[in-house]
Amino acid sequence: MPEEIVSKENVRLLVEGKLAWEEVKKLIRLSPKDEDRFWKYLEVLQQRVPWKDKILLRISDHLYIVAKKGGGRVVKCDCGQEFGDYRANWKLNCRVYVRKTREEMMEVFSIEEAVPDMDLVELREFYCPGCLAQLGVEIVPRGYPVVFEMLPDLDTFYQEWLGKPLEDEQPDWFQDKTLELTSEWAKEE
Amino acid sequence: MGICYQGKTFKEVVEERDRLFKETGYCYGLEKLELAEEDPARFMRFQLRLVSACVNARETAKLITANPMGLLMGELIFMLANPEGDCISASFGLYGHIQCFPYIIKSIAELDFEDDPGIREGDIFATNDPMYGAPHNIDNYTWVPVFHNGELIAWSVGINHILDVGALQPSTLSSVSPNTFTDGFMYPPMKTGDNFRQHKWWELFWKRRTRAEEFNIMDDKMRVAGAVAIHDRVLEIVEEFGVDYFRKGLKEIVERERRHLLQRIKAQSVPGIYNYLKFDRVKYKGMVGKLFASANRDWMLHIPVELHILPDGRIFLDMEGLTTEDEFHCNIYEPGLRMTASMGMWPMFAHTKTINTGLRYINDWNLPPGSMFNPQDEYAATIMGLTNASKTMFAFFNCFTHAYFARGFLEEGFPQEGGSMAYGMEGILDDGYDWTGGDMLLIASTGSNACPYKDGVVALWAFPNPASDMGETEASEFTQPTNLNIGRKLIPNYCGHGRYRGALGMGITQVVLDPGRKLTQAAFIGESGVGNTAIGMAGGYPGQCDLVYFGHDTNMREILDGGLPYPTDFVQIKEWIKEGKLKVGSSELYNLATPNVDCKDGDIFAVAAGAKGGWGDPLEREFSLVENDLHYGWVTPDVAERVYGAVADKEGKVKVKESEELRQKMRNRRKERSVDAKEWWRKERGKVLRKEFSEDVYNMYADCLQYEKFRRQFTGIWQLPGDYKL
Repeated sequence: MPEEIVSKENVRLLVEGKLAWEEVKKLIRLSPKDEDRFWKYLEVLQQRVPWKDKILLRISDHLYIVAKKGGGRVVKCDCGQEFGDYRANWKLNCRVYVRKTREEMMEVFSIEEAVPDMDLVELREFYCPGCLAQLGVEIVPRGYPVVFEMLPDLDTFYQEWLGKPLEDEQPDWFQDKTLELTSEWAKEE
Repeated sequence: MGICYQGKTFKEVVEERDRLFKETGYCYGLEKLELAEEDPARFMRFQLRLVSACVNARETAKLITANPMGLLMGELIFMLANPEGDCISASFGLYGHIQCFPYIIKSIAELDFEDDPGIREGDIFATNDPMYGAPHNIDNYTWVPVFHNGELIAWSVGINHILDVGALQPSTLSSVSPNTFTDGFMYPPMKTGDNFRQHKWWELFWKRRTRAEEFNIMDDKMRVAGAVAIHDRVLEIVEEFGVDYFRKGLKEIVERERRHLLQRIKAQSVPGIYNYLKFDRVKYKGMVGKLFASANRDWMLHIPVELHILPDGRIFLDMEGLTTEDEFHCNIYEPGLRMTASMGMWPMFAHTKTINTGLRYINDWNLPPGSMFNPQDEYAATIMGLTNASKTMFAFFNCFTHAYFARGFLEEGFPQEGGSMAYGMEGILDDGYDWTGGDMLLIASTGSNACPYKDGVVALWAFPNPASDMGETEASEFTQPTNLNIGRKLIPNYCGHGRYRGALGMGITQVVLDPGRKLTQAAFIGESGVGNTAIGMAGGYPGQCDLVYFGHDTNMREILDGGLPYPTDFVQIKEWIKEGKLKVGSSELYNLATPNVDCKDGDIFAVAAGAKGGWGDPLEREFSLVENDLHYGWVTPDVAERVYGAVADKEGKVKVKESEELRQKMRNRRKERSVDAKEWWRKERGKVLRKEFSEDVYNMYADCLQYEKFRRQFTGIWQLPGDYKL
């Protein structure tokens, strides 16, 4: 029964948002969950992207952490655009548009009175430089540090949780390197 | 000789519980679950008997209350705890409170209640004081000890959200309070009855210190009745299973739950660090005046949550950088924080057949002393700190959605935002009848955010209470005789847009009729006009803000008396005013909880709340989903075109070629008006260096930069000089 529900085809449909709700409910009810879901998921994802880099983890609709053949783990969009080392916030390699006024907000909100107070916050949109997909949105006060949404502990995940360590395992893969990037930028100032 | 097993004192067993966990890593030091492993079927039967005792207590006792929030919405819960205070089983209802009760029991142990006032068969205890474990004083706890042959073997407890707690503002969610003395009726743990009956003085307190005294007295009776019902049922269960089995079984239930939850997290998520962020706003300027001069200001609140999923499956939450405690209603203590945070944990990974405090043992928090979630001022106001602390629950919804998404369990993705409403009222009718009422039924069933694979669902659920529904208008009007409901509906376009769309927010509209001598209304909304969340999901937009509208001196009487159509939501009210059909002398609009507002006959009151966020890039929304939205009127053609790049014909059919061209133009426009992040960073850095912040934002940064971690992040991102100061 679980094998039928969690077929590779159903995982693909789930990823595409096309799995029938009745089938999704069966997945939700699975307890415990299917142990090999992650591997099926990777197979499905790998078949959907036009490039060959090995996907290590999917972190958003369009974004993946991939292993580069020459070494390194980088964030990559399904269009092929790369965002550098996954330990630095990928948003700092996007294109950025900031909505600062009520008028600009009304392009994406619908009720004027339900727009946030633009004297206090701004809305940041982060686009992929390659395909211009909207990858991230933040509503924050001016000057707020760009939010690093997720830094996975990949080696613990692969080695301890999945039992299949990555070849390039090393301790410093689980370190936030974002400030190193801005430090480099500051040197150019 | 103590009252607990083997003559130990109550205080000793509580201390032993904490010591054993610290030393062994197992609840009660239980490396082996002997009862559960020896005979799992018997053990499950035992556990379900305990659960059914709680469910039975709730479903019968709640019939005593007259408070519609209790009776219909189910804002109550009954629980069974062991002597140490761990909740072993619970009814349906306000399940967050399972996390609080252990703190209350620990408090009375530390206060040495066994010595004074004593703990005996038939005693009744009560508290609503956050300093001793309650989340806020509107949530009232009543509990009784369960003795077997002179040994304390358990506690049975009832808790509910009452109708008014005698605070500055009427009803349930008063949101103006500079200190604990303006929080209303607050009582530390105390013995309020014996021989299973409350004392008369206790009833007098409700009469004198709260507005809705009749409701509150009935609620108190309900809590006692339920707690006593569990007490009696527990003794039957002890009779059936034996006291040794009962005593040991309670401990095994908690430890088994702890292991189960860790296993589930490891099986479904990905270890790492996830960030959630929320800003809130408080506006006291001009409201509390000279009386509370140092509170007469506005605040921008900073609520960062860094959620770590650790290698062993436990969770650590770091909230360093949180706004400092202050003279506002937003402070809360750790028990209350854990209570509301757990409401994100139960749905995301802690939902089991028989939930209990096993959850408490797998999460740890860093709450900096002096921050608003760890206040050091014993007079800090706490009446609605729950609103701001509740944002931590969304950290679990959103961060675990990322983790499940990464692992491939998209079906478990369930990101959420706040957004809800309630209101309190007090008045004096023409005949001199003094009344208090209010409602929070609309929050009983809000929509949900978009998931990683589908749109949000309208009118789906209530995050505080899984047993609630939309409530009954008639019941609402029972507690608010002056306000007639004329609208209750979903508002088109009122959502967060995305590849998958968030659920539409809801609106209610009321007209004030025959208010008598006086009517004061204060509305509460869950969000405060600075974004429902700071981080959209996968490129989707957060939901639109909540709002409250009061229209005074209107012609609503004439409209109703003439049998004419009338506006039924906020958007329509605006249109009707514009068209001249609705006349309004003056109006008030709020994007956060309101002050007390005096209302007169014919005034109109409208709220829009609970618009939920989207998932993914709106330009990738399937045309068929847009057509569906147009068909049901959930999205209008202009929004479909402007936000989704979908051009529809008069029948609501999307013109594919035209739409694809429009989407391409919209992507091109993204390219034209965006800049490279590095260029943006350079300009923003200049503004930060020049300290170009609005007053409230400046004050927020000045406060948060006192905390080393936030300072490191802030100065690091912008590469600021070491002596940067605000």
